[in-house]
Amino acid sequence: KNVKGQEILNKEISININQGQIKQILAEIQQLTSVNFVYSSTVIKAQRKVSVNAVNKRLGQILDETLNPLNIYYKVEDNQILLYEKENTGLLSANQNLITVKGKVSSDKGESLPGVSVNIKGTKIGTTTDSNGSYAITAPGPDVTLVFSYIGFTAKEIPLNGRTVLNVQLIEELTSLGEVVVVGYGTQRKKDLTSAVAVVNVGEMIKQPTSSVNNLLQGQASGVTVLGSGQPGEEPQVRIRGVNTFGNNNPLYVVDGVPTQSIADLNPNDIETMQVLKDAGSASIYGSRAANGVIVITTKKGKGKVTVTYDAYYGTQRPKGGNVWNVLTPQEMADLKHMAMTNSGATDFADSLYGSGPTYVLPDYILPAGAKEGDPRTNPSLYKLKPFYTSDNEYHSFYRISRANKQGTDWYHEIFRPASITSQNVAITGGSDQGNYLFSANYFNQQGTLINTYLKRYTIRSNSQYNISKRIRVGENLAYSITNNPKIAGLSGDNAIGHAFREQPIVPVRDIMGNYAGSYGGNLGDAYNPVAMQERTRDNKSQQNRLFGNIFAEADLTDFLTLRSQFGGENYSGATRAFVYPTYENAENSTLNSYTESALDGYNYSWTNTLSFNKTIDKHRIKAVVGTEFFKDYTHVSTGTNQGYFSFDPNYTNLSTGSGPMKTTSARTSNTLFSLIGRVDYSYNDKYLLGVTIRRDGSSKFLEHVYGWFPAVSAGWRVSQESFLKDVKWITDLKIRGGYGIMGNQLNVSGGNSFTTFGSAVGTSYYAIGGGNNIVSGFYQNQTGNPGAKWEKNINSNFGFDATLFGGHIDISADYYRKNIRDLLYNPEMIGTAGAAKVPFVNIAQMKNNGFDISVSGNTQISSTVKLNATATITTYHNEIQKISGGSDYYDVDSRRFDGSNIIRNAVGHPISQFFGYKVDGFWNSQQEVDAANQKAQAATGNPGDVYQTDIGVGRFKYADTNGDGRITADDRTFLGNANPNYSYGLNLGVTYKNWDFSAFFYGVQGNSIWNQVKWWTDFNPSFGGAKSKTALYDSWTPQNHNAKAPIQETANSFGTNAVPNSYFVENGSYLRLKNAQIGYSFNSVKLQKIGINKLRVYLSGANLFTITKYSGVDPEIGTSSETGQQTAYGVDDGSYPSQRTFLLGLNLSF
Amino acid sequence: VSEELVANKNGVNALLIGSYAALYGMQGNNQSLGGGEAWQGSPSNWVFGSIAGGDASKGSAGSDQPAIDPIANFYSDANNAYYNGKWKALYEGVSRTNNVLKFLAKATDITPEEGKVIAGQARFLRAHFYFEIRKLWNKAPWIDETITDFNQPVSADLWAKITEDFKFSYENLPGTQGEIGRVNKWAAGAYLAKSYLYQRKYAEAKAIFDIVIASGVTSSGKKYDLNPSFEDNFMPSKENNPEEVFTIQMAANADPSGPTSGNNGDMLNFPYGGSPFGCCGFFQPSIDLVNRFRTNETTGLPYLTSYNDYAVKNDMGIGGGAEFTPDQGTLDPRIDWTAGRRGVPYLDWGNYPGAAWIRDQSYGGPYGPKKNIYWQKTAATDADKTTWAPGSAINYLVIRFADVLLLAAECEAQAGSLTVAQQYVNRVRARAANKEGWVYKYKDDSKPMEGFSDVPAANYKISEYPAGDFAGKGQAYALSAIYYERKIELAMEGHRFFDLVRWGIAEKELNAYFDYQGKLTSDVRRGRFTAGRNEYYPIPQRQIDLSIKGNTKVLTQNPGYN
Repeated sequence: KNVKGQEILNKEISININQGQIKQILAEIQQLTSVNFVYSSTVIKAQRKVSVNAVNKRLGQILDETLNPLNIYYKVEDNQILLYEKENTGLLSANQNLITVKGKVSSDKGESLPGVSVNIKGTKIGTTTDSNGSYAITAPGPDVTLVFSYIGFTAKEIPLNGRTVLNVQLIEELTSLGEVVVVGYGTQRKKDLTSAVAVVNVGEMIKQPTSSVNNLLQGQASGVTVLGSGQPGEEPQVRIRGVNTFGNNNPLYVVDGVPTQSIADLNPNDIETMQVLKDAGSASIYGSRAANGVIVITTKKGKGKVTVTYDAYYGTQRPKGGNVWNVLTPQEMADLKHMAMTNSGATDFADSLYGSGPTYVLPDYILPAGAKEGDPRTNPSLYKLKPFYTSDNEYHSFYRISRANKQGTDWYHEIFRPASITSQNVAITGGSDQGNYLFSANYFNQQGTLINTYLKRYTIRSNSQYNISKRIRVGENLAYSITNNPKIAGLSGDNAIGHAFREQPIVPVRDIMGNYAGSYGGNLGDAYNPVAMQERTRDNKSQQNRLFGNIFAEADLTDFLTLRSQFGGENYSGATRAFVYPTYENAENSTLNSYTESALDGYNYSWTNTLSFNKTIDKHRIKAVVGTEFFKDYTHVSTGTNQGYFSFDPNYTNLSTGSGPMKTTSARTSNTLFSLIGRVDYSYNDKYLLGVTIRRDGSSKFLEHVYGWFPAVSAGWRVSQESFLKDVKWITDLKIRGGYGIMGNQLNVSGGNSFTTFGSAVGTSYYAIGGGNNIVSGFYQNQTGNPGAKWEKNINSNFGFDATLFGGHIDISADYYRKNIRDLLYNPEMIGTAGAAKVPFVNIAQMKNNGFDISVSGNTQISSTVKLNATATITTYHNEIQKISGGSDYYDVDSRRFDGSNIIRNAVGHPISQFFGYKVDGFWNSQQEVDAANQKAQAATGNPGDVYQTDIGVGRFKYADTNGDGRITADDRTFLGNANPNYSYGLNLGVTYKNWDFSAFFYGVQGNSIWNQVKWWTDFNPSFGGAKSKTALYDSWTPQNHNAKAPIQETANSFGTNAVPNSYFVENGSYLRLKNAQIGYSFNSVKLQKIGINKLRVYLSGANLFTITKYSGVDPEIGTSSETGQQTAYGVDDGSYPSQRTFLLGLNLSF
Repeated sequence: VSEELVANKNGVNALLIGSYAALYGMQGNNQSLGGGEAWQGSPSNWVFGSIAGGDASKGSAGSDQPAIDPIANFYSDANNAYYNGKWKALYEGVSRTNNVLKFLAKATDITPEEGKVIAGQARFLRAHFYFEIRKLWNKAPWIDETITDFNQPVSADLWAKITEDFKFSYENLPGTQGEIGRVNKWAAGAYLAKSYLYQRKYAEAKAIFDIVIASGVTSSGKKYDLNPSFEDNFMPSKENNPEEVFTIQMAANADPSGPTSGNNGDMLNFPYGGSPFGCCGFFQPSIDLVNRFRTNETTGLPYLTSYNDYAVKNDMGIGGGAEFTPDQGTLDPRIDWTAGRRGVPYLDWGNYPGAAWIRDQSYGGPYGPKKNIYWQKTAATDADKTTWAPGSAINYLVIRFADVLLLAAECEAQAGSLTVAQQYVNRVRARAANKEGWVYKYKDDSKPMEGFSDVPAANYKISEYPAGDFAGKGQAYALSAIYYERKIELAMEGHRFFDLVRWGIAEKELNAYFDYQGKLTSDVRRGRFTAGRNEYYPIPQRQIDLSIKGNTKVLTQNPGYN
């Protein structure tokens, strides 16, 4: 027995188990001492029951007393205790043929396994492998069978068949029941979970090429809905079990025990585990921040000898090809214009561009409008333009000459180009009983397919732990990131993408002198040149820096009491600068130049102190934790803008070099939380499980109701432990569980909510009281206070089961939940007579949610070389608003171009984000139909002047009279579609064949609607005179084509076509997408090990390879639009930044 | 800043400035106070007063700001966003003045004399906001500084409250103020008299108008008078002039987020396309309006009823390349300060080019707005180019002295003193006839900044009504001449619709306008004014919905809008 072994055996522990299985006793000791037992269950007969009762006894003594009577002995090797049954050498007779068998045991990943029990079946002969995984054993004959067993691996029996060398690969055990899961303020064995916790398979998750952990989460965890876009660095919308509040619905993230609202800069390669806490039982220990769900992440720790891993990929992102928006050619645009004028009864067809003939002819020039080749007005010597002009007078003197692009400019592909993506990650890890460390560095660079959008990010991380003594550990987990991420505001018809489907194809990108061309000159709509828009952002910069992490100290007071103090948080800063250039090429130009600089900084920290108790007494296992937590959050932002620059040189422009007016603003906010935490997990005989948590939060955001209590209780019953199921072979483990509790929310209120305040703001309360251009500061009431606001309460019940079937080949976890959200904070619009001061949040609204989360995974080995695995997750949620405010049972959002009528109505009795408007019921196919309808309306109202429908006309939409009053009024508007899917699902498939591995990940949503606002721009001729679609020309209503898609094309907006929200824009948003497919090859590790390489794998990967959908837009994945910024309004596609097809070549290397 | 910190002299004075700021009706970032788009809350009433009154077409193109079309054509319903935007901006103004009065009562460091001056201004401003509310909606809730439940039913008697406020101001404000932006006794007097006139209390109105005309001075002490030149009213360099009775003091380039204090609500109203202004081609003077500037070539007087028979020649349908000679007949010189006409100097921007500066001629007609346009030579100080469309430092004159004279003329005519009425009208016409104030051709058409020749830009002829004309032809004639003069003198200044309604001739006049203009431009083809309904706008549906108490809605809709 070596010294270290002696140390382990001298450890004093207390243990008290009556008639427990040896297996259970060993597990308990393992837990108390972190010593590993290695044994073969066949030899040890671990199911045997014994009693052990020891208080502060040496481990060695306990083992002697407990095991020796059973003829079990032990020896210590490294940090492991190997158990064996004493050989009865007497059984070996001299005339038996003794053979020495040697070999090596390794894992299916090629790592050598030390401490594996090697036994000869039917005898008591056994040994264990050494630190290199090698063994030697003496067999009584050539026909015996060797049994190899090792904790966490499936035991293997191999007939010797006369061999003397037998190398064995053990396969990791399938069941994850022993897996330890990180939950709020502690850990739990997966089999002990009584609440709804989704454990993410991090290895599968990080196969996709994105920097964002939130994007990676899509489809990987049941109960989580993620909606993203193709824009680098744009964080997706993450919803855990649907929408929980009218405001901020983002979950709380807890990274290495530190709560935060953002993981945008977290390096996916650093993640060790990721758990989603979905119900009150698991999440309400986070109290007032739990209601949106909690995502708990731990980052990697080092272990074993020094290892360097290098993971890298490089790839290309390919934008969609073809005529993406189905845009007309310039000649077709002219034809459409002619057709619309004819339809609108024009008699004079004179057009400055296309002439006045019976058909329109494309000009050679758009500026001067309509000019032909040889026109003296197109003489280049007349051309005058200074792109960086600084005065209106210069602007007025310009003479522009621009050719017509008769073939048509493909604006989509002018702004979307193939782009590169790369990630380079290095990690160095190691550890011993003195501590462990991980250092990693990541460089991520994703160029956007949209020009001048990209994400460049540098991250470094250092995680270390120092074991100061046997009982005291200190350490830190720290990450620092630098992010450069210029983005556009998504899903808005007014960004470059919007202008790309609005700008007419006859407009070239550049004029005859290489300056930008555009819609200048009239008759070409009012769109901007989108290439110019994006190129002018070239010198705009933004940088964010963030330090995030914690330092901690942990002391084992006794064997069952551990005290932990942790100080964690983040400190961040960021700066942006942007220059707005004057324009000259568009129909509507801004002659202004301006420069804006902004800086933000802030910090938040949590100081967490916990005392944990962990003890097993007999069949009672108790884990408990109590603690306190203090949280403080502070932010500061300042912005300055100046105008009137005489030079646009990026080295010259700063806030002081403009000529004014200059505007500066700044703001600071801070808030604090103080919390008491308690949790108890109890299990009896591994069969009956109970979890109780409680948290009291005190928040500085509330005045009269500072404190809130958030309790939860959950219970589980491992039915499979009952005798009546013990014999059902195919049920390996089955647990039924349920929970109830309250989670809180306070994200939607600011600290100022309680107070009525007065302020002063340029542009709101300044007046030129002395005349001239000087304005003088005044006050106005900027906020009405509500001192009575309190916590939102999310009352949650959850029922579910976890099943492991067929020895771990199939795992199922399913949950049903209900959430009743009470005291929902809402700032109902105040009646106008109260003035315009900011309305405070009051606890007035109510909402409910229910749904199922299911995850199923399976794996099987088809042959010794082919293995399959699959995981499917399904998420459903049904959301219903029950109350909005005393005065109103709905609120509308998102008017887009409908001038006051909104697309989305959030109404009582309906889910959040439903589309609302008139239902299209075909077309008016003839004047007779129109007259008949009008007569009916007149009969219904008794007014001979009435019409059935405003702007009624042949070829226009016929709206459904949903209330049956004989005419179309605002009351006929109805719910047209739901942005929330019936369900969403993810499917991971994996196959390994020898050294090859193949995986695929599918994601889909089913049953949601999308509002395709792009059609408003392209399918209706009068919509701002921009580019139009083939649908408008070839599939619109004409006297000959009654079976059309779009209505008659006219020159003016009308109620019967594009002036009001109607069902024309609503489409089925279901889709199924192959998000990722990967094929990898791992090189033979034995050969590589000779040159010091543990692992070398190369792979090819493709993302977003295909999408099956009926949706006609570019990408059916549509989240929250920048235009409303409201989290209760989503699913409106006004030109998305689509996810692009991506091809990668990657490498995983470790040595 | 919390409530305690404003209950003192400095705080109350700052709240008072904040109340003046509400005159702009804006809150920055091109939004009206309360959050609507800037043009909804414009204090100039270019939509509710001028377009709805037939002064102007909406202009631009049909697809831009389509919500104005139903207002211009009188078929809008209560959901139209313009109503809610305007309502909220005006009630925020009311709310700010109420806060002044509320904290004035709490402040202890203000003398009673100072208090009267503060209260006088606050109540003047409150009465102004309510005057607007009353003009637009007839009945609306009355909220003053004593009211804590803001969900009040509509009051049928806003006039009593409005006149009470103006009266208080008239009786308590000094004749002059240290800063020209502050209202004085005489502004209050003029507005009080105007309120009486709206109530058809002609005698009460006349009594005060007489004093105001005889003794009124501006806040800086200048005796009320007409400016020598008509266009002085629209030039920032001439501000603080004797014609300014109640002015919203506009300032350019004060807020980088947009021309918040510089006619933000009117920033769409600049010529389009190739024009130097960038955007957006709204607010085009109607053909009907321009025709009213025709004068009889012998008398120099207008054709009070048959003006459209003598239509002014325009360039509808005539392309940019084609030749065009402007109208050669006799015209009132104010025409060329009111409308941009092809071939006529457009301030110092060059001759107005016609179609090239118009977004859709077939929709909005051939003319461009002019009174709200700044000059090229003073653009550096007068134009506000802080955002995508311009603002300007041109003050908006809520009441100018010409307005006072014409209102007083109505009172006189109603009282039967037609000779005095004619004197007032002639005083206004005499100023228009001042040749110093006409538009002249450029010295060099290609260099408009180099000044004007002495050749009038058109064949101007204008005369005063001959002595005894009103008295001879009687009250009805006198009134129609006064109404006509008011139309052309104050055209495009936001008054017309409200004048038509209070005169009781809106149905006749506007339907005649639709019949005429609707044949020429497509924007008002659907126009139809319904008497008994369209005199007032609908109370915004949103506000009615928000007025729910128990199960009933406290606010009641105006007749004809349910």
